Amino acid sequence: MTATSVPARPRAGARARGRPGRRGRLVGWLFLAPLLLLNGLVVIGPSVATVYYSLTDWSGLGPATFIGLDNYVRAFGDDKVHAALWHNTVWFVLFLSVPMAMGLLGAHLLSQVRRFQMLFRALYFIPYVVASVVNAAVWKMLLSPTSGLGHVLGIDQAWLGDPATSLLSVNFVVNWHWWGFLAVIFFAAMQGVDPQLYDAAKVDGANGWQRFRSVTLPGIRPTVVFILLMTVIWTLKAFDYIFIMTEGGPAGSSEVMATLMYKQAFNEYSAGYAAALGLSMTVVTAMVLAVYQILRKRGWET
Amino acid sequence: MTGPHLSRRSLLSSAGLAGLGLAVPGLLTGCGGGDSAAGDGTGTVDFWIDVTGDANQKYFLDKVVAPFEKANPKIDLNTTFYKGADLRRLVQTALQAKSGPDIVRGPAATQTIAWSKAHVLADLSGYAKKWDWNSHLAEWAIQAFTQDGKLYALPMRVDTMLLYFNKTLFADKGWQQPTNRDELEALATEANGQGIIPFGSSNTDWKAAGEWLMTVFWNHYAGPDALYQALKGDIQFTDPVFVDSVALLKSYFDKGWFTGGTDKWFSVPAQEVGAKFGQGGYAMVPQGGWFMSQVGSFFGSAAKNDNDWDWMPYPALRPEVAYPLFEMGIGGSLAINANSKNQDAAASYLNWYYTDKAAALERMADVPATYNIPITFDESEIPDRIDPRSGRVLTSVNQAIQNGNYGYVTWTWWPPKADVFVYEGLEQVLTGKMSPKDYCAKLAEQFNTERAEGNLPQLMPRGAAK
Repeated sequence: MTATSVPARPRAGARARGRPGRRGRLVGWLFLAPLLLLNGLVVIGPSVATVYYSLTDWSGLGPATFIGLDNYVRAFGDDKVHAALWHNTVWFVLFLSVPMAMGLLGAHLLSQVRRFQMLFRALYFIPYVVASVVNAAVWKMLLSPTSGLGHVLGIDQAWLGDPATSLLSVNFVVNWHWWGFLAVIFFAAMQGVDPQLYDAAKVDGANGWQRFRSVTLPGIRPTVVFILLMTVIWTLKAFDYIFIMTEGGPAGSSEVMATLMYKQAFNEYSAGYAAALGLSMTVVTAMVLAVYQILRKRGWET
Repeated sequence: MTGPHLSRRSLLSSAGLAGLGLAVPGLLTGCGGGDSAAGDGTGTVDFWIDVTGDANQKYFLDKVVAPFEKANPKIDLNTTFYKGADLRRLVQTALQAKSGPDIVRGPAATQTIAWSKAHVLADLSGYAKKWDWNSHLAEWAIQAFTQDGKLYALPMRVDTMLLYFNKTLFADKGWQQPTNRDELEALATEANGQGIIPFGSSNTDWKAAGEWLMTVFWNHYAGPDALYQALKGDIQFTDPVFVDSVALLKSYFDKGWFTGGTDKWFSVPAQEVGAKFGQGGYAMVPQGGWFMSQVGSFFGSAAKNDNDWDWMPYPALRPEVAYPLFEMGIGGSLAINANSKNQDAAASYLNWYYTDKAAALERMADVPATYNIPITFDESEIPDRIDPRSGRVLTSVNQAIQNGNYGYVTWTWWPPKADVFVYEGLEQVLTGKMSPKDYCAKLAEQFNTERAEGNLPQLMPRGAAK
């Protein structure tokens, strides 16, 4: 008797569990179908339509006239676009540096506090959970030159009315609303850093700043990188606070791409041009995401 | 589109706005098709309107919706309230998606033209003929909403600019109401010297407030005859008389006469302007007739002061301009959605609202300025209980129309993009980034482009109108 070893054929049921059969795949697609349909309607459809309308002269109502790349050519030479992009850049630099620095400092301070830590975390977080419309409306009053905080302190400055300070003032409010959230996020990330690393650093004679730079920051790098990425995207989307507090004014001094797009679409009946501007911003965002992916693959994140 | 299917164009249109983050609900609704139909004159009529504040909304429900439904028991007027700034965006998006309310609360006449040209508004000519709307409404106002012989909306409210003043302050200081530029500037200089800011105004809560000021300065300095010629295309907005109007306004800003300075005009909230006006910190407030419904809240016991207010016509800023002169225009419109399935019932509401003169005058008497629809009436028909200041607006405007002493507000008679430039460009002038001459040159360029495209309403002629 020859002993042969014949691999046992998997039972049908086992195969179905391992790799879905045709029927299983069909059931899967059926489950996915409503979501795909909805996705097609509200994401893919509008995306395709936006590409189409960015190539047209369209008021936002009625028929559109195909004009090729004219909207993009116009955008390149449009002073308003140049100014808005510059404001987005300023916004980005401020939004990236100030809240990040304050968030890291706040998280570090939180990690040092033993009593009332939850209270401080809640206090940091409160501005973030209040609706932007409310925050913006309240700060608009607080920044009034005739009855606001500055006026009470004897400072005669129209923060939102002076073209030199309007963008910075709105950015200050956004940073105020944002940094506490970052502090709590960074604090949570710091909790995950191995305490033994701090002990080892102490043994090596590292001071507080050196421990922060050499242990804490590398330990929370994935969180920092993620927040950096999101900051870029949020900067390009900046809209609500600016629209409520200054509407891009005075004289366009706080205009950013999103407010400019809105005005083009709804005030100036240039929805085709607004679509081109929106798509351009999407391309910029995609480029940022691509850079992020490249850096991730190279291990920068970890 | 006449069939029940979603065409490529409507899909792309809807999805395009959705792509801008604007129209997902409209897109989904648009899937239902876009049949337009007169209906049987009964059923539910959806109406989105920008009435804000609990008291105002209650008045609208009690004095407009309820009596209409009582008079038309087979029609349910389903009203939804929005803020003005939100409403236009929502309605525009919904209309493009072949959705939205049956009765469309539209923007100014020139902007409503854009909606009409996109065929999203129903032709009201048949209803106008059936119910003889032309005999009920002022001819000039009806004409502003008529294009190529078709009526596409009804004028919602007569707008004019008024110069409100702190009556108690004027009495205390012994100031007289100025009627010309010399008197106005003398008063402003004296007030300023005493630490009272001559004009309370800001664009903080309404970005387009700059066009109110340009409306005043163009009408009272350049004059309505020059404006008429410019709007007809006979002269250009680059004419020195228009440039000088802008320069004069800028000079007042430079003197700190408006809210204490340009930067404050850009940043003091409207509520604060009103409060300071009531307290005597501002002597006068240049505002529209609509402000009459709010100004009382800044005076008297409600505002914890002992002051009172009144209004006056704007002084003539050049000897060649008549006094008194009232800028004339329309604030908003009411139309019917071309895709409404219940157009007859919607038209019944419009007919009820505009043709019951007694009820309309009652509403005008009850709520200052808000319900001033352009109907024709005699002074004797105005209810006695009306606040005399509100009553004086109605009679003054009537007389101005009959005498030909009227001008033109930018938000009714300027084409849409030029109208936006009027207030956005003015910000550039006030901040010194653009000269009055360049401002007028750019305005002329934009105006001529849109005029060539036929985006202007039929203009009120000079002379007595009806």
